[in-house]
Amino acid sequence: MARGIAGLGGACLALMGGAGAAQEARTIQVATHYTPEQAAPLEACFDAFEAANPGVTVEHQQTAYGDFLQTILTSRVGGTSPDIYNVYSVWVPQLASAGVLEPPPADIAEFVAANYAPATQGAVTIGGQLWGIPTELSVYALVYNKALLAEAGYTEPPKTWAELREIAQKITRVNDQGNIDVGGYAYGTTVAEGVHPFYAQMFAAGVPPFAEDGRSTNLTSPEAVRILSDQAALFADGITGNEIVVDNFVSNAVGMQIAANWNKFGYQEAYGEAFADTVGVAPIPTDGPGGTMLYSFLWTVDAASDVKDDAWALLRFLSEPREGGLSCTGEAMAAMGAFAGSDADLAAMTATADDFDRAFIAEVTEGRAVTQPNVWQASEVDRILRGYIDQAWSGGMAPADALAAADAEIQAILSEQP
Amino acid sequence: MRGLLSSKAAVPWLFLGPVVVFAAVFFVLPVVFAAYVSLTTWDSLTPPRWVGLANYQYLFATDPIFLRTLWQTVYFALGTLALGVPLALGLATVFGRSRHQGAWRVLYTLPMVTNIVAIGFIFWFVFRQTDGLLNRLLGLFGLPGPGWLTDPSLAMLSAILVFVWMELGRNMLLFAAGLASIDESYYEAARLDGAGRWQLFRFVTLPLLKPTVLFVIVTGFISGMSYFTLMLVLFPGTQGGPGRAALTTGQYMYQMAFEDLRMGRASAVSYVLFALVLVATLVQLRLLRRGGVEARG
Repeated sequence: MARGIAGLGGACLALMGGAGAAQEARTIQVATHYTPEQAAPLEACFDAFEAANPGVTVEHQQTAYGDFLQTILTSRVGGTSPDIYNVYSVWVPQLASAGVLEPPPADIAEFVAANYAPATQGAVTIGGQLWGIPTELSVYALVYNKALLAEAGYTEPPKTWAELREIAQKITRVNDQGNIDVGGYAYGTTVAEGVHPFYAQMFAAGVPPFAEDGRSTNLTSPEAVRILSDQAALFADGITGNEIVVDNFVSNAVGMQIAANWNKFGYQEAYGEAFADTVGVAPIPTDGPGGTMLYSFLWTVDAASDVKDDAWALLRFLSEPREGGLSCTGEAMAAMGAFAGSDADLAAMTATADDFDRAFIAEVTEGRAVTQPNVWQASEVDRILRGYIDQAWSGGMAPADALAAADAEIQAILSEQP
Repeated sequence: MRGLLSSKAAVPWLFLGPVVVFAAVFFVLPVVFAAYVSLTTWDSLTPPRWVGLANYQYLFATDPIFLRTLWQTVYFALGTLALGVPLALGLATVFGRSRHQGAWRVLYTLPMVTNIVAIGFIFWFVFRQTDGLLNRLLGLFGLPGPGWLTDPSLAMLSAILVFVWMELGRNMLLFAAGLASIDESYYEAARLDGAGRWQLFRFVTLPLLKPTVLFVIVTGFISGMSYFTLMLVLFPGTQGGPGRAALTTGQYMYQMAFEDLRMGRASAVSYVLFALVLVATLVQLRLLRRGGVEARG
């Protein structure tokens, strides 16, 4: 009998112990689009977090950027979603509306409010609700080829669009077949490479592309029409064309373009030691008050996660300034040529930055950069706009008509939001 | 149970069972589910909401792009057939009876075994406007260099040319097999009647090859209607070529589903495409049956 009771007690203790162990052993799954090489600094921080939190294991799931949203959707449907995502801010309205994301707790909200510039906070806030901690920050500015400008007789980048047009015209060279060999200015083929410069120019002109509540656009404003007309004129006058795109910048075939800071690695790789003497950065040329666009990725937590507290703790750990240097997130971003959004990280980056980075960082720290509008169905909205921008560039539609048509279609989408 | 298993009638079902279950789960169920989804709005995250025929109405009455993609897709499918079938037939006729069969077969099976991405990249370099191989060649003769991939009026034609090359080997193989099956006695009889080379082709080869021709057309049309991988490689980063000039319905459906999360509309697109291909295939099969009867006659 005694042995039976002892055995029962032992079994109970074992079960209790097992339950305790199960409660302590927690796994946080973190999904990012970074390659193993890019994520190496983060992995090191995951190890440090595990060491400081016995029982916690952090697993990194890498997914290609192009498949990232689909992976989130599939994992949600299959009930295998990770605990933490690093998502593009324009995906947040849909994900938040569908209940995929967990709003941050009060201490995280306070942390973000205290450590990030208003524009950066705006990038991860939808309708007044914060959804995570900013990670990778991308800013737009005019990137120009100093050598091509010098050949054309200019030592300074343009400050207005009229100046840009004048310089671009002098840089442009056409070959015997009538194709542009060297373009004074270039756009790209992707949706972002057409739409983001357009948004950046609108911000520079002092008119945001969308109303603050995200329920209407300013695409039919005189400023928007003028910007698109100016762009279309570059095509019509042979200063740029479909045959010369932003990718050609690295082969000395493009004078100027509006581009994001993360292109730096590509430029460095192409120009090597000549990078600093070749590639210049300047504010977006405009007749308006000036400004540009930024966008951000953010750390978010899945609403279905059963380790939410640990997940937020890990994210805070990754984002907190470290003594004398960058945060974990900042270190990872710096390693891949991107910016981390916190004030401390930007200050640390500025201290060691070259002219290229410093010019971009200044757009954020000096308050000129405004966040990309995280509007409803942002990817679809951008794609529609790009379609009409193409129409205006090719001369298929008058810029005012193209923007009016885009506005009508986009307005219908924005009116779908809850 | 034992009786059931030992019953002769059950044996075929036992063998067929796994295949039937597989087909039901991976083919029938998705088709039925897509039909249901096409009548809803669904973002794959929240429950579907019934909207009846609203998605179909949107596609035909509101969407400014859908009908254009449908036309472009039909243009692509018919264009590849119009260029590809006569070319493959002509080449198979010329080379089918020539010497060095092994060498020819290697040549025309090459496109069949080459990876689509590799093909796309090679032609991307060939067609580049400023420094592409084709325009460099044209430049040697003082000719202008068109924007094969950047001019909206040429983009789809370029895609058709590449697809014709891709399908050429397969079509030549089918035609070669069809030609080999024609009995030599038909030609001998025609020659005795004084038929020349063209008349042999027109009155002997072509009628007897009709089933093969129609098979190539049916399968080529279905293939062309649903194809878009090539466009992704030839027009990287774009939304279907310059000004969407090479955007096919299949690619548009993909964008709707996986970029816009509009599963309902995307499913409706898939059903419209399915209906179109079904009708076209039925018409072609009817012709095929006729062709077969005529061929036998």
